[in-house]
Amino acid sequence: MSTVTRTAPTEPLADGHDAGNRILAVVRLHLVNRYSVFAVPWMIMGGIFIVNLTIWWIIFASVTNESDRADARDGISYSGALFYIFVYMLVLGIQAVAYTFPFALGFSVTRRDFWLGSALTFITLSAVYSAGLTILAAIEVATDGWGLGGTMFASFYFGGADASWLERFGLYFATYLFFYFVGAAIATIYQRWRNNGMLALFGTLGLVLIAGIALVSFTSSWPAVGAWFDANGPSGVIAWSLAPTAIAAITGYFILRRATPKN
Amino acid sequence: MSAVVEASHLTRRFGDTTAVDDISFSVQKNTIHGLLGRNGAGKTTLMQLLTGQDFATRGEIRVFGENPVENSGVLKNVCFIKESQRYPDEFKPRHVFTSAPWFFPNWDAAFADRLIADFRLPLNRRIKKLSRGQLSAIGVIVGLASRAPLTFFDEPYLGLDAVARQIFYDRLLEDYGDHPRTVILSTHLIDEVSNLLEHVLVIDEGKLLIDEDAESLRGSATTVVGTRQGVDAFVADREVLHRDGIGGLASVTVGRLSPQDRARAAEMGLELSPVSLQQLVVRLTGSTQTETALEQSA
Repeated sequence: MSTVTRTAPTEPLADGHDAGNRILAVVRLHLVNRYSVFAVPWMIMGGIFIVNLTIWWIIFASVTNESDRADARDGISYSGALFYIFVYMLVLGIQAVAYTFPFALGFSVTRRDFWLGSALTFITLSAVYSAGLTILAAIEVATDGWGLGGTMFASFYFGGADASWLERFGLYFATYLFFYFVGAAIATIYQRWRNNGMLALFGTLGLVLIAGIALVSFTSSWPAVGAWFDANGPSGVIAWSLAPTAIAAITGYFILRRATPKN
Repeated sequence: MSAVVEASHLTRRFGDTTAVDDISFSVQKNTIHGLLGRNGAGKTTLMQLLTGQDFATRGEIRVFGENPVENSGVLKNVCFIKESQRYPDEFKPRHVFTSAPWFFPNWDAAFADRLIADFRLPLNRRIKKLSRGQLSAIGVIVGLASRAPLTFFDEPYLGLDAVARQIFYDRLLEDYGDHPRTVILSTHLIDEVSNLLEHVLVIDEGKLLIDEDAESLRGSATTVVGTRQGVDAFVADREVLHRDGIGGLASVTVGRLSPQDRARAAEMGLELSPVSLQQLVVRLTGSTQTETALEQSA
């Protein structure tokens, strides 16, 4: 090596000034594959929308009696078509931790910066998608269900046709956040404890569910449970989902802090 | 010279197994270190500990003078390329090279482009569809172009062909000359890299067996070949590292020989040959004796 001139040694850089940059870099890393993050969800939504549109058209064309049409519209307003898009977000939340976390650590990111960057990504994506859904819901209401009396975006679960745009946006936003953070938190358990963690998680969830059912049944509280859902309505239930979302966000952080990616 | 990495009494246990067992060493700045050992010797675990990916059961680590765990100030100066690196689903190589500069402040895009051409890596194919060698090429390119002051390569070239491996060695040396940095390279292809290494660490079953300058290590063992009686007489009072025998002939590896020893061996009609780094590691970490029958070659 003596003949080579050592021109520019790579000196370690000082710490401090760019902690925020590392977090933003994680956000950019999550979004670098624009196709998966932006194109695929809208394609799924487009596909679901076309299927629904076809069904509405069939109903609209085959049901001519006015009162029967009103019945049909009422039924369609309980559309769960949007559910699929949220499931895709759950998968994105899981993948963020299952695939991007080991990769980000390979890029020398700390677990803290990874989780904060991921949270910021989830919040940003939730806001963007909620804005999109809010606009589509407004169009849906304005065009009287795309001219066919259909309901997909302004469904009963997201405030129905009469909700304000702000209420709708808030409901979509909370739902997106729930699926992202719960997906990501479940994946942190796998990163930390692998299969044993998954078994423990779902075992515990099963036990808690059974215990809850037993508790409600033995105390004859089913009417009270029903009344709670009735009083809160779908919007209230979605608002309450912010509690598990926050728990997932916080526990996910602490679980990941001691996790080591393996293959 | 200053220490970039310092480990003292470093231990990592997984249940009953001790993957890293009370290891202490330091790595000097701007050197190329070889971390050698058999599969499961603890090389990957050691590197995971040094890069803050795993947590020590006992002992202390200092990288650039600080604990690397969750320390972004330290970690942004570190690049860890491992054979088993996982990539986000649906990622293509171009996503990796687009995002790398956000994390590695010294990233050289022109150098990366040159390496991509050297390795003939397709940028727009999904990573899941790449061959094993192409997958390794991604890691090698990131490791070189990131120019991190401390770079770890853990078995970086699984599946790379001989040409690609030579490109890796050439580019590493070339770039190391222009931009000195500390490199820790773990590999099984010891003969191929032995000229590259300035310092050698050998671990076996979690323990550090050798922590020595590569130059002095190369002369540290010699194989003595000759008749069984002659060899036995010569090595009688020495520590034998390895012994092979075929019929009346013996081949025995011993430690460093003085010029007088060499003269004496010549008088006794024994042949002396240097032991390569690879053979040395094999002898130190493998079985110590093989006695083979005549028809088998030693």
